[in-house]
This record gives sequence, C-alpha cells and structure tokens, in this order.
Amino acid sequence: MSSNFSGALKLANLNDFIAPSQACVVTLSKNEKPVQKGLVQLQRKPAARFDQTLKDTDEPVRVTLHDCLACSGCITSAETVMLEQQSTTEFLNRLKSGDSAVIVSLSPQSRASLASHYNLTALQAFKKLTTYFKSLGVKAVFDTSCSRDLSLIEACEEFVSLYRESHGLQKDTSSKKPRSLPVLASACPGWVCYAEKTHGSKILPFISTVKSPQQVMGAIIKRHAWKMLGIRPDNIYHVTVMPCYDKKLEASRDDFLFAVDGAQSESQLQIAEVDAVLTSGEVLDMLESQQVEFMSLEEAPLDKLLTNLDEGDHLYGVLGGSGGYVDTIFRYAARTLFGKEITGQLDYRTLRNTDFREVTLEHDGKVVLRFALAYGFRNIQTVVRKIKTGKFEYDFVEVMACPAGCLNGGGQIKPKKEQSAKELIQNLESVYLKEVDVKDPFNNPVVKGLYDEWLQHPRSARALDIMHTTYHNREMSLGSKLNDW
Amino acid sequence: METSSGEPTSNGFVKPPDFRREESGRGGAAVESNGHGLGMGLTLRLVQELEGHSDRVWSVSWSPSGHTLASCSGDKSCRLWENLTTSPSSSTWRCQAVLEGGHTRTIRSCGWSPDGKLLATASFDATTAVWEVTGGEIENVATLEGHDNEVKSVAWNSSGTYLATCSRDKHVWIWDVQPGNEFECMSVLSGHTQDVKFVAWHPTKDILVSASYDNAIKVWAEDGDGDDWRCVQTLAEPGRGHCSTVWALAFDKDGDRLVSCSDDLTLMVWDTSADLADLSGSGQAQWKHSTTISGYHDRTVFSVHWSRVNGLIASGAADDCIRIFAENREDSSALPGESSFSMVAKKVKAHSTDVNCVQWHPTDPRILASAGDDGTIKIWEVIGDLSLVG
Repeated sequence: MSSNFSGALKLANLNDFIAPSQACVVTLSKNEKPVQKGLVQLQRKPAARFDQTLKDTDEPVRVTLHDCLACSGCITSAETVMLEQQSTTEFLNRLKSGDSAVIVSLSPQSRASLASHYNLTALQAFKKLTTYFKSLGVKAVFDTSCSRDLSLIEACEEFVSLYRESHGLQKDTSSKKPRSLPVLASACPGWVCYAEKTHGSKILPFISTVKSPQQVMGAIIKRHAWKMLGIRPDNIYHVTVMPCYDKKLEASRDDFLFAVDGAQSESQLQIAEVDAVLTSGEVLDMLESQQVEFMSLEEAPLDKLLTNLDEGDHLYGVLGGSGGYVDTIFRYAARTLFGKEITGQLDYRTLRNTDFREVTLEHDGKVVLRFALAYGFRNIQTVVRKIKTGKFEYDFVEVMACPAGCLNGGGQIKPKKEQSAKELIQNLESVYLKEVDVKDPFNNPVVKGLYDEWLQHPRSARALDIMHTTYHNREMSLGSKLNDW
Repeated sequence: METSSGEPTSNGFVKPPDFRREESGRGGAAVESNGHGLGMGLTLRLVQELEGHSDRVWSVSWSPSGHTLASCSGDKSCRLWENLTTSPSSSTWRCQAVLEGGHTRTIRSCGWSPDGKLLATASFDATTAVWEVTGGEIENVATLEGHDNEVKSVAWNSSGTYLATCSRDKHVWIWDVQPGNEFECMSVLSGHTQDVKFVAWHPTKDILVSASYDNAIKVWAEDGDGDDWRCVQTLAEPGRGHCSTVWALAFDKDGDRLVSCSDDLTLMVWDTSADLADLSGSGQAQWKHSTTISGYHDRTVFSVHWSRVNGLIASGAADDCIRIFAENREDSSALPGESSFSMVAKKVKAHSTDVNCVQWHPTDPRILASAGDDGTIKIWEVIGDLSLVG
C-alpha cells in the first residue's frame, strides 16, 4: 500500500485498499470477464487524465482513477504506485511530443521544500525552477500564491455572508438553501474525500464551496488567461507542483472538468482544469535523475502574469503554511463585521495539541468570532464529532489532513540524513516566509484585474459558477462492501 | 471462536483428538522434576450458571467494587448481574438490568470505569457506547464513532481519564474523557498490520498495550513533549514472541509483569518493570520476555487474567477449559530474573464449548467469572489452600 497519501485519506480507505494480489470488483461497461490475475489497469479515456495502459495480458478489469473516486474513493495499491510513477513520465512525454503547451503552476509549499533542500531562498528556488522547466519546453511557470489570493477573497466573502445570514443580519439571495455556520475550509482534498466518504450529508453542508488554489489556478488559466497566452484551452497541459499526493485525486474530480466547444465538430470537449500534479519529491527525482546541477542554474525572470511578485522583485503572500485561511478570513471578518483592524500575528491559543489551535475576537465584552486550526486525523475526529453532536462552538475551521499542515505534506522532500522531521518543518516554516512579504489578498493587483475584467466581483454569478464547487456523498459500492467482508 | 469477521477458525495446529493433559501433563511433571510440590492443588467449584443471553457471551467485566458483573453478547445486549447477598460465592446472582438498543450488532467487549459510574461497550457495529449507571438508572450518555469496522476491545486507564478502543481496522484509538461525559479523540494509532484484538492499560502508568492478529503486542505511550502518542515498543521478537494471534493481555497487580495468551497455545509472561519513559542515557529501557508457559493448552487460548488479589493467572480456551497458573517460588533452576509457572487447577468442560473470557473478582481472592460461546456466564469459587500457591 502506498504510504504517500494523507492520513485521513488512508484511514478512510483502509478497507478499500486492494492488495496487489486482489482485484477491484468494479466492472465497467462490456468487460464482464472475471479477473484472472489481480492486475488493475487504467483505461485510456478521451480526456487522457491520470491514465496509463499497462501491458495487456489477461484482459483484467479496467478502472480509471476517477471511476474509483466515484465508486467510493477506493484506490488500489497498484494504482497508487502508478500514480506516483506515471505523472512524471506523462509530463515529460507531453513536453517531448510538443502537442500541447505545458504550463506549470508551482505551490509556495513545494517552492519552500525545494528551496530548503538546496539551501536557497524561495525566490532563488523559484527562478531556478523556472529556468529548469523552460529548458524542458514548459511555456510558463506560475505561482499558486496568486490563485490562492483569489480563493481567499471568495472564502472571506463567503464567510462574512454566511455569518450575517446566520445572525439574521442579511438575506442571502444568491443561493436557495441557507447554509449555517460553521464553515470548514475546502482546500485540503484529503479532508474533503474523507468527509464525502465517511460522513456525507452530516458534514458536507458545512464545507466551504470555494475551490482550492490549485483548482482556481486551473480555472483561471483554462477559462480566461489562455487568451493572453494565445493558446487554446484544449491545447494547454496544466501541471501543478504540490506538497501532497491527495492533490492528484483532487485534480481528477469530475467536478473540475468543464465543457468547451470542440475544434473540429460541434461536439463538446471536456477539459480538466488541472491535467496532472507533480509532488515536490517527484520534481526533485526528476532533477536528480536528469543530473541537473540545480545550484548552477540561472535565475530566470519569473512569469508575472499569474505570480505574486511585486515591482521590487519581492515575492508576497499570506501568513500560514496551509493557505492562511484562518489568518486571512479572521482579519477580514473582524474588519468587515466589527470594524476592528488586526495587525501583526494572530494570538493563537493551543488546545489539546499543537495541531489544534484557536483564535477568538471579543467585541463589547462578548466573544463574537471563534476560529480554529485543526490539522491531522485525530483533530478532524474531534471537529466532526462535535459538529455531529451539536456541540460545535467555532465559526470557521481550517481543516487539514496532515499534522503540521501542508508544509508537512506527504509529497514534500524528506528530511536529510542528519535532519529530524521536526527540524525540517521548522526550517520549511522559516524558508516559506523568508524575504516574502505579507500582503492582503484584496490588494493583489493580478487578482483585482481578474475581477475587473472577468469575474466582476466576489460571489458574482460567474464567480460562483467557476470558482466554487459541490461535494458528493460517496456510498460504498457493493464491491467494496464485499471486499470488507 | 470468532467467526463473525470471517477469520479462519482453525489455527493450523494438528493435535490428536484425545490428547489429554490432566494426568500426564506438566502439572504432574512439575511435581517430579523440579520438586515444587505445587501439583494441581486447587479446584474450581461452580457457584452459579447465569443464563439470559440468547447468543454467545463474549466478555465479562467486574465493577471496581465487585458488586456488579457486566456481560456482553452476540445478542447485541449487555447484562448487569448482582448478588442478592454481599457474598459473591453465594448462588444468588440475578440479572438486574439489560442494556439494549445501544448497538446494532454484537457487543464484543465491556469495561467499567475505575470509579464504577460508567460502563463502556464495544461493538461490531463500529461504535463504542458509554453508559452511566447511577443508582437504578442506566443511560446511554455517549457513542464514540470513528473506527472503520468492528471494535474488539475497550479499556479505561487507571485514573479514568483515558479510554482506549481497538478494531479490525488495525487501529487503536485513545479518547480523552472530559467532564460532562464528553469524549474527545486524542490519538489514532496505527502500527499493527492486522486486526487488533485487545487493549489493556498498565495499572498505575498511562501506558497502553495492544494485542493483534499480526502476532505482535505493541506498547503505546505519550511522546516526550506530550503532543501525541506513539508505539514505544513492539513485543514480537522472533523466537521470543508469539507465533500466532495474540488474543488477550493482563498486567499483574503492580504492572511489573504482563501475561499474554495466544492462538499458538502458549501464555507468555513479560517483564514490564523497566521504565519506558526513561530515555536518558544511551540504552533505551525495554520490556523483555520473561517466560513462556507452554504444554498446557490444546487449543487457542482466548482469554487470560492476572488476579490483583491472589496473584494467580486464569486462562480460558477453545478447548472449553479454564486453567489456573501459579508462579513457582524459590525456583533454584531458574535464571536470575526469570520466573516459571505451573498449572495448579484445571476445569475441564467449564463451558460446553469455547471459553471466551475469564475475569478474577477485584476484591475476593476466590471468585472467578467466565463467559462462553454456550451463551452462559459462570461464577466459580477457587477451593484449596491459596497460601500455598499465591
């Protein structure tokens, strides 16, 4: 079984992990043959996402990754291995074939991971990676800190709107069913998959509908920025570099496909916002297997179109290694709802462990805002349990599947020989923000431009259509139930 | 015999069907070879057979005072039994309550909190229910969810501040007991590679042990910085660990020793006196294998319990027998630090089929309860001179 998926995802899927000697019982379409050997193959589908055909030996059951997700999030161990190996191969093949324009979006956590490994600053690492990727034929390298700012703006507005609604301060005209607090962050696919599979309608209504920075970037590039790049969306192969493997699952969700008119016929093409995800570790593997002298790479100028780089050549972003949802939304809510301006670090209080912290705002002697960070499976359990038993006191929770958050994702580069895991995390947290300015997402000029030219304003009809998503109860398939017998 | 979860019922050991230990077993040999003179000095007298459950009884648990015996069953209920007199050896046990409706499947294990106010029941329905027993009122005050499938065992720590559960999902969960019957998930521990059958807490320290189908015993303790729990040791050394499923564990009165029982037909005694928290110095303190009690059981040993009152070990097995073991004193042939044990009592056909659980009374040195696949609970009294063996 692959040990690379987040704890929440693995724990939820334990019974669904099929050992290499067994076979998934989901049979698709016409292939009714019983499985001879326990081979699971991925079927080539038109969208050609996350698939690779193995040698066709015994005509075993063919299952695609996103079918698996639809079934019950079952991930066979054979597939996890392929997911790990295949993304890099596919990426390099795409570059070689030259069919599509390859665009890479780099997450700040992966940037920090590579920077820490090579003892560079985030900016230096970013520039060298730009040189490297472009030498392979990549057309542009962007920064998901930029799309994250858009995601955060939507999340801020979503929260404030729901808070007002639940306190009877406003009527929500944009949605039919009124949602109630708390709002649980949606950026972590490990958390989302676990919630869909295990808790369904008891928890899903509380999860923010805002897309993650990864998917927001995909939406921006393929539905708008392609015009500026001069490349048709169906000719773009969008790869993100992320700190975990769960992001690969996120990218393969059907909800993140959209339709465009086909080039030749009048048929509609299904286009994925994100075509492939590489982990920080996979990028390092590529660099090492190609024997790239990373340190001697030139520091290329960055592609500023979708990157958080100011005129002084400084990177910028929000505080918080897991996207800064609490940090940003808390400040915004304090300002917008109560007129309080909060500067400097937030005053977090550690609860039962360092991965469960809270921050509160008092106004007129009462606590009016209660936000929390809940990282790791055991703390997710506490959150879920309290919501289910109606004893939940928080207004917003930044839920992340990995202890210590995204900087400690399963796809990050492992500690060096003499380095402990703890030392590495501390180093990553410092590299993450070193020489990176902290800026309010609402002041991001790129994002402002996207609203002005395209989305109009946060929670506009277009923003809700393109930048928001929905969640699904995932029932265990009969096959999975039998497998668990 | 556990079949609900589809596990094999055969342990793969081939034994001649009429293999008998009573006359020619180690008990007799011990008298001859090492001259301890323990022999089979005790017997078990049936005090009472408690009927009522409509399916196999999996487990029993004595309340801390010994006044109430809780039993749980495949009939999805838990029963509370009390004696009309103050003497547990009086055949006046009656069923005082039936806890129903709390679970939708078999209740596999039950355990009283150290203050006797709460009873936890662990079920194949993947939940653990907590019942508050105050006076004549019993109320289901909490349901702990989270395990993916059948919960196999539940145990409270010595101060009643933590509750541990384990499951076929291979995980051990530790819950923090909060005021107002609130339970918060403190840690989800992975490490076992198979179904976890049993959990037990050290009698004085917050150290948890777990037993699994993967043949290992794992020891769990809080991290140095108190942020999370982790496995501090695995007792599974080749040749000195069990070679098949470990079904149950029990500490002695002070927690200096641990006894485990297994499908491999042995009991193993472990020296658990080392302070695992003592990480200072180069050598990390470790718990060690002390002795193996073999040659006595014909079939899987499902249950073992070490009395905190008389120092005897009781075992319950798939051959329908209950056996009692005592430590050999002044064993000149034993290596320093090692101890040896002999069987001092055996009840053949204690139940008409598998014995699932044995539990010594918490205060009365002569009382033992057992539960069986035959759907009954039996209260036993140990007859004989305890001073010779205890």
